[in-house]
Amino acid sequence: MKTFETDVIVIGGGATGTGTLRDCTLRGMKGILIEKNDIASGTTGRNHGLLHSGARYAVKDLESASECISENKILKKIAWHCIEDTGGLFVTLPEDDPAYHNMLMEGCSYAGIDVDEISINKALEIEPNLNPNILYALKVPDGTIDPFRLSAANILDSMERGSKVFTHTDVTSLILANGRVTGVRCYDKASHEEFEVYGKIVVNASGVWGQQVCESAGIELKMFPSKGSMVIIDYRINNVVVNRCRIPSDGDIIVPGDTVSLIGTTSRKIDYDRIEELVVDDDEIEVLLEDGEKLIPNVKKTRVLRAYCGVRPLVAISGEMEGRDISRGIVLIDHNERDGVEGLITIAGGKLMTYRLMAQMTTDLVGKKLGVKKKCTTHKVPLPGSEKRIPHQKKIKHFSGISNSVVGSTHYRHGERVHNILSKDKKNYGLICECEMVTAGEVEYAIKHLNVKDIVDLRRRTRVGMGPCQGELCSYRAAGLFTEYGDKDGTESTRLLTEFLEERWKGIKPVFWGDAMREIEFTYWIYQGLFGLGNIENNKGEPDR
Amino acid sequence: MNYDCIIIGGGISGLTAGIKCVHEGLSCAIISSGMSALHFSSGSIDMLGYTDNGDVIYEPHKYIDEFIDSHKSHPYAKCGRDMVADSLQFFQDQVANRNVEFFHNNSSNHFHVTALGTLKPTYLSQRSVFNEKVRNGFANKPSIAIINFEGFRDFHPELAASNLKRNQLFNDFEIFARTIQLSEFNNTNKNPHEFRSIDIARILEKDKNIERIASQIKEAAGNALFAGIPALLGIHDSERVHRKLEELTGLIIYEIPTLPPSILGMRIDDALKTIFADAGGVFIAGDKVISGEIDNNILTHIHTQNYGKAHLTAHHYILSTGSFFSGGMVSEFDSIHEPVFGLQLDYPKGRSNWYSQNFFDRKSHPFLHYGVDTDNNLRPRDKNGDTIQNLYCTGAILANYDPIREGSGGGVAISTAYFAARQIIEKCKE
Amino acid sequence: MIKLENISFDHCIKCTVCTVYCPVARVTHLYPGPKQSGPDTERLRIKSPELLDISLKYCSNCKRCEIACPSDVKIADIIQSAKWKYSKRSLKISRIRDFLLSRTDLMGGVATWFSPIVNFFTGLGIVKFFLNTFLKIPKQRRFPKYAQGTFERWFNKNIKEQQGYDKKVLYFHGCYVNYNYHQQGKDVITVMNALGYGVEMTDEKCCGVPMIANGFLKKATKNAKFNIKSLGKAVSNSDKRIIASSSSCALAMKHEYPNLLELDNSPIADRVDYITRFIFDEFKKGNIPEMAPVNLKAAYHSPCHLERMGGVVYTIEVLRKIPGLDLKLLHSECCGISGTYGFKSEYYTIAQDVGNELFDRIDAVKPEIVVTDCETCKWQIEMSTPYQVIHPISLLAQAIRDVNKSGD
Repeated sequence: MKTFETDVIVIGGGATGTGTLRDCTLRGMKGILIEKNDIASGTTGRNHGLLHSGARYAVKDLESASECISENKILKKIAWHCIEDTGGLFVTLPEDDPAYHNMLMEGCSYAGIDVDEISINKALEIEPNLNPNILYALKVPDGTIDPFRLSAANILDSMERGSKVFTHTDVTSLILANGRVTGVRCYDKASHEEFEVYGKIVVNASGVWGQQVCESAGIELKMFPSKGSMVIIDYRINNVVVNRCRIPSDGDIIVPGDTVSLIGTTSRKIDYDRIEELVVDDDEIEVLLEDGEKLIPNVKKTRVLRAYCGVRPLVAISGEMEGRDISRGIVLIDHNERDGVEGLITIAGGKLMTYRLMAQMTTDLVGKKLGVKKKCTTHKVPLPGSEKRIPHQKKIKHFSGISNSVVGSTHYRHGERVHNILSKDKKNYGLICECEMVTAGEVEYAIKHLNVKDIVDLRRRTRVGMGPCQGELCSYRAAGLFTEYGDKDGTESTRLLTEFLEERWKGIKPVFWGDAMREIEFTYWIYQGLFGLGNIENNKGEPDR
Repeated sequence: MNYDCIIIGGGISGLTAGIKCVHEGLSCAIISSGMSALHFSSGSIDMLGYTDNGDVIYEPHKYIDEFIDSHKSHPYAKCGRDMVADSLQFFQDQVANRNVEFFHNNSSNHFHVTALGTLKPTYLSQRSVFNEKVRNGFANKPSIAIINFEGFRDFHPELAASNLKRNQLFNDFEIFARTIQLSEFNNTNKNPHEFRSIDIARILEKDKNIERIASQIKEAAGNALFAGIPALLGIHDSERVHRKLEELTGLIIYEIPTLPPSILGMRIDDALKTIFADAGGVFIAGDKVISGEIDNNILTHIHTQNYGKAHLTAHHYILSTGSFFSGGMVSEFDSIHEPVFGLQLDYPKGRSNWYSQNFFDRKSHPFLHYGVDTDNNLRPRDKNGDTIQNLYCTGAILANYDPIREGSGGGVAISTAYFAARQIIEKCKE
Repeated sequence: MIKLENISFDHCIKCTVCTVYCPVARVTHLYPGPKQSGPDTERLRIKSPELLDISLKYCSNCKRCEIACPSDVKIADIIQSAKWKYSKRSLKISRIRDFLLSRTDLMGGVATWFSPIVNFFTGLGIVKFFLNTFLKIPKQRRFPKYAQGTFERWFNKNIKEQQGYDKKVLYFHGCYVNYNYHQQGKDVITVMNALGYGVEMTDEKCCGVPMIANGFLKKATKNAKFNIKSLGKAVSNSDKRIIASSSSCALAMKHEYPNLLELDNSPIADRVDYITRFIFDEFKKGNIPEMAPVNLKAAYHSPCHLERMGGVVYTIEVLRKIPGLDLKLLHSECCGISGTYGFKSEYYTIAQDVGNELFDRIDAVKPEIVVTDCETCKWQIEMSTPYQVIHPISLLAQAIRDVNKSGD
């Protein structure tokens, strides 16, 4: 059995885990990150990608609010290519409590968040598709952040500086010796191989799965998962983040994200043993669309692309069983202090946009334990892709032989690294995904450099299959490229194709009506009717003579 | 200027009905909005491919009797086995006049190779896809080259080769994948991705290119006996291109249908439209029928998008508007309806009943067999439950059949069209 | 962010059929096709206008993509809007040319005063050379001849006879009849009178089609509003139909005004008919005038804009009623000129390549004459083939007039 040795072992490839790996690596420590599925496939990849100004917490949770605004400013510097500085609005509808917006303004100024009250006309100018019947509007420095790009950039930086990453690998158990954690036992699901990794410290950054990881060391970490569902609209119906100015509830927010808009979110309690079987309920979709329509009337006549849900990993601190003390705040647990087990720390809770702060806190503790004195620099060193801040227009001019839409889209996704992707080789800039303008060159880059093992991974790194066709045209093409650029043969690539289509289907089922239904009928006709893909899957329907 | 028959929907079903009508001297117009589902079809005609258990059917004409017995509301049951057989023959004869030659395997199903290397049972295939040379040739376990054109991203021969070899019938064949470089690809400049099947089809239609490309194919195929290429041997005159390529290369060449646009389907579409127009039929492409007036169970007027109450009237009407893709049925948040006449549709309440859990579920998806239910003469009921006397429904809009699970899409489209047309012709002759 | 009105791109299910049938994408790789230029990149342009790619300028607005689309996406409209909404205007020489080509009222109004001189000069090689070099109008292009004076002026002198009829139609003559070819207007009157209708006209401006095609949307809107008001007023107290003898004018008033210019055209929307549709209705009622056999072998070419309206069937059925007409229906193809598109050097080759398909087909039929409803198609076919082109209404008028001749 293979073994690896390193300084820091990070379990979990979400924002927190990847951020921690990067911070450790930047401080000179070696790290290995193990992720059971793909980078940002957990809660990180299933939220609405809001770059908070913090205004949402200004009324009830001032501490969170000021954390948000300071991180907001930092991320806009170091991860600008993952961020759209759209700005945001808080709007009060006729049926909302008019006093709330005053409370919001007060809380914001107290927390140091720039908030402006603007006229309704000005609000409509900023966001022409807004419901014109609003009472008040407040302008806040919200933005959007792409969690896939963010996590991928953190990983890329770590790997370029010498750390390792294993994806599609389970941590089957923690390895203990003399009551301390010395490493992890792993199982690579692709190669079906077991191996072990030994390190000086193990960081559990596995989000809601943290409970299971700790169990294998006999440690109790109670999670209270809460499901949040989101609905994705086919195109970008708003350009700024639109928030409902009221006590946080379901369907409060419409977030623009690259080429789509997201309506979110809901909050439903679920049992821990159901976290792998989450589905979006019909009533959640109804409430999201209804409330979304109140903010932006066009929602009513817009095509709904898909719906998905994520789990909020809410942690009970001090071992509470009932959940009274569960917090959305940052939870950093030194298990030596709490449980007498050295060599393991857990970082949990928090929000996507405070990931860097959480990673900093974690790495500070790691540094303390390992005797590494270097200070955190992740707030200063830009992520790969954000090295130089060049406006899209200028970058587009640089690649004059290639369509603007293609260059622009690739630049949006990869920032400065676009130069590694778009070369003048013609083969390289043929489009694989026509909805999102993903070229063969980008797919090649992702497969070879960004830990892409299957088409679902590819989709996270490049947006293949995230447009209106949801894989109808591009999935076959992408599968073919795995034989060319990956190390897959034809049969393996076919398997990837089936898996991808099933994955896309999961998110379309809840919104199976209208154009989504037409698209699926079309896709099914091609992949089953024309290609017989299901026959391979089900091992049926083939002649024997 | 009253037509004998107006057909709403110009896909394979509508066009077949139209051709049958005009051939018997009826005046007929087809109003069609947008191109039909032929543009992503396999270009083969399926009659009956799979049993309810998902097993392959080898002899559809023998199986159809027991099938009709156990599926009494299926469109085939309404047409009857003879009508099904006659209509398919009619179809085959018609398109042959426009050089689209279909092959059938002495009334048995045959299996055409798909782009993923699976084998799909079908009844009629275009000769360039399957013919007796191909069938007989396979018996000798020849080596097969699956060839693609550089830059054509809608076909990946490695997937076809790999999966085909896994089939027990093929695992001792030598099958390999090759790519050839077309010089035309280098001229695409800024938009190399716009190198679709239609672009290569146009290249191959030009005589001056065939020789050059043939020698490239020959070289790539090495000592293989067969060459499978993606289906793009031109739209008009594909027979000639196919024959020439086989002559020049000495190979047995067969086309493999791949991602849309389907050149094979377009050949059928083009042939049917030409036959219809040449025989005096009027094909209206830019308008859409949006509603109709029904008086005393008779459809008296149709309304179109561009002209409101259309001044085109007919004694008889056929509705061949297709399935959800083509707009024949429309679904909303919690309901499905037929948008032109509001005909009765049979489907369960609750969206989650419309689909199966897995995309590639063995049972297929329930929504594929939703549609308009009709009497035994293919006439539908309006929302009050009354049969509309002069309206017939044909093709994918019909209920009670699943074209993908059964492998019956083309067969139902053609036989129901033929049946409806025959009835209208009878009535007009009275 | 723009206020989103035309969101038909939302319905695109990526079937690629539009690109298959695009005549421009067929002949040049500089144009990625309507799918990419329209619904695909519209989603990107909404996100960021910088993602607009200039290759969409090659779209000729023939609207064949819309005819092919099974999802009701207004692809050509999306592309036309994008051309003007998202791109930055630059003052180039070609904009001056575009201005001149689209201001038909202005050009026509001036030219008809001096038509013999203008016609002489536009035919001169040296003038063509000048236009080619400085204004980028291809020298191969033949300019349509201008008539002496306007049709309006002629009509106003001959208006009395029309007033005697009980039933009336309102005739929207359009720029071609007004400035270039009065005979067609006279043919309209002959046919209408034979059907028992007197012809009226009212104040009108250019329907706006060339302005829309060249991005002068403000002016097009101004003209459109004027036309809606003027025509609306003229028919408001009756059930008079408004007929247009140019298929493009009819398309503009029925479709472009509400869909592209986003105007309320309800005063006229249900009243406007392209002329053969009106005649078809009359024929259907049994009101068929006496016609003498024309004894001609003709090939009918259906203009793109008439196809888009679904109006070709009416022209065909009307033509079929003309005795002695051996009518061959040409396979529907774009002629290439697409209005002012073919008058621009940068698109000339594309326009001719597109049209070649049609020209070959006409040649295969070897008709004595070609029939079509659109005047720019007429110019294109007459320039690119040896055949003469006639409007269906002129053929009808001829058949009607010949009755008197043979009756002698």
